[in-house]
Amino acid sequence: MKVLIIEDEKTLAYEMEAFLKKAFYLCDMAHTFKDALEMLGINQYDFILIDLGLPDGDGLDILKQTKKHNPEAACIILTARGNLEDKVIGLDLGADDYLAKPFYLLELQSRMQAVARRKFNINVELLALGEFNIDLQKRLVLHPTAEIELSKKEFDVLSYLLLNKNRVLTRMQLSEHIWGTYADDDYDSNYIDAHIKNIRKKLNVFGTTDWLETVRGVGYRIKHR
Amino acid sequence: MKLSTKLVLFITGSKLAVALLFVLSLPFLVQQIASQFTNYTLREQKKKVISDVAKNGVDYYLQGEKNFGSYTMLKEEYIAIEQVQPNEHIDTIKNSQRVFVDKDTLNYRILSYTFKNGNQNYLLEIGKATSSINQYNKPLQRFALYILVALIALTLIIDLVFTRMLIKPLAKIIRTKLLHRKFPFRTPLEKVKTSTTDFSYLDESLVLLLDKINEAFAKEKEFTANVSHELMTPISILQSKMENLLADEPLSEEVSLRIIEMMKTLDRLKKISGSLLLISRIENEQYVKNDIVKPLNLFNDIIEEIGHRLQTQNISLTLNISPDAILKNVNYDLLFQLFYNLINNAIKFNIPNGRISITDKQHENNTYELKISDTGIGIAEDQLPFIFKRFRRTNSTEAVGHGLGLAIVKTIAIYHQVEIEVESKIGEGTTFKVLFVK
Repeated sequence: MKVLIIEDEKTLAYEMEAFLKKAFYLCDMAHTFKDALEMLGINQYDFILIDLGLPDGDGLDILKQTKKHNPEAACIILTARGNLEDKVIGLDLGADDYLAKPFYLLELQSRMQAVARRKFNINVELLALGEFNIDLQKRLVLHPTAEIELSKKEFDVLSYLLLNKNRVLTRMQLSEHIWGTYADDDYDSNYIDAHIKNIRKKLNVFGTTDWLETVRGVGYRIKHR
Repeated sequence: MKLSTKLVLFITGSKLAVALLFVLSLPFLVQQIASQFTNYTLREQKKKVISDVAKNGVDYYLQGEKNFGSYTMLKEEYIAIEQVQPNEHIDTIKNSQRVFVDKDTLNYRILSYTFKNGNQNYLLEIGKATSSINQYNKPLQRFALYILVALIALTLIIDLVFTRMLIKPLAKIIRTKLLHRKFPFRTPLEKVKTSTTDFSYLDESLVLLLDKINEAFAKEKEFTANVSHELMTPISILQSKMENLLADEPLSEEVSLRIIEMMKTLDRLKKISGSLLLISRIENEQYVKNDIVKPLNLFNDIIEEIGHRLQTQNISLTLNISPDAILKNVNYDLLFQLFYNLINNAIKFNIPNGRISITDKQHENNTYELKISDTGIGIAEDQLPFIFKRFRRTNSTEAVGHGLGLAIVKTIAIYHQVEIEVESKIGEGTTFKVLFVK
């Protein structure tokens, strides 16, 4: 997958590149509006990450250009403006997703995966997890003997861990993914722990959940294959 | 006392005083006028006598006698001509007494005048009884009093109407500029029409003052928005760096934990700027209020979002909301945030095995009330006025939250023109009432 990162904050762009490289994305970077248009003219991309606040132009104009020259690319808007209108206009102009800064790189990558699944029609079949099977589409946890009912949030936690398997997810990354950016008054809560406890309790009735690891002080990880 | 009442009272008082003075001085005035008029009449009569004498000679009156005298029936007037010494010369008008043959003594105003006819010097006396001069005094005084009182009553009504009209702009200025003004002052202020320069000066000064307040408020909003916004990029960079650092395996456990601590601190900073940014966005009216929200659905959504938090302390929650209730012209996300924060607090500051109840009530005066009560630790009475202030943590026994939760609640409430009432007792719990006025 080829990605163009359009971001005027070079440090941030490099961090995004470093993170995405590990997930085997090929990254190009553009730090100005002008560079971005040039690169879009030369290359074709699968993903274009557009920062709206560029010093020499409006990111929304890049989005329009992309839709002309590289229509099959998936576009994700990144912005610190946090302006609700931008979100609406961006999605109207054909952006596939919208992320407000500051975001976790893991969240960005997960959104890209989700967009890819949708856009490139990658059919996710049942994901095997020990004795269990997870149906992401129908949001079900299946065991040969039964269908296990998880609450909405519990399923979100489990599937997020599974989609990022073999990687330690911090409580903060999980919280932000599950609860989004509601201006929560708590900055050090253990609510994720309660969910994990419930998931284990519900699944342990049917089989072992030793694939779901607690990483002391850091967070959780699904270790699998 | 009202200004218009004061004005009318003062005007009436001064009018009455002037009128009273006039009525009291009336006898003197009448006397003055009467005596002047009497003098005039006496002089006219004198002129006539002198011209008669000049035309017909003094004998016209004397008829051969030495003296002449004549008076009216009741002796109100008399005239007399008599011979006097040739060198005597008199021309006066004065009050004096005259004694008549029948011993009648009367007060007269008398014109005395000497004139020559032939070789003789004569003295002419014309008198008018003073009692007859003063006879109009009493009725005049009475009539003047009646008329003046009537006039004062009439002008009082006119004054009342006029002062009302005069003061009207003042009442309008107070009503439009000062009373029931909800902060921030969004509606542009209209000039109050008045021809009284003092009022227009007051009006302009008030508009200027309100503009200044608005300006200061706008500056503060802009500052908050800018600071929070400018913080987002550096936070973004730091967060990404730490995330990458943490992903660089293998890391010793100690290093991982340190990075996690840093990330937690950064998360806190992120939430504070995020909350400040949210507040300034609401204050900048960046949210559209055209959603129709069913409170029952809203609370079900919120409970789905944070219901699991009840489990940690085994808190029971009862929801009793009428399914027909509807809120119009609101912003769903903001209301969600408002009640989310209130319920979150009710959970956070509750005691183990505590209770939370959420109820609604339709008041008769078109007010819809949503009430959230908890059996939590409560808020001290002296702290209640400050709970909506930014960064004011009243439950400061433990470091919970960043102190912006209720500030957000307040901002959303103001934006929706919703009233919030709080009752609380230490050790018993807290009740928040959110009042929607239609």
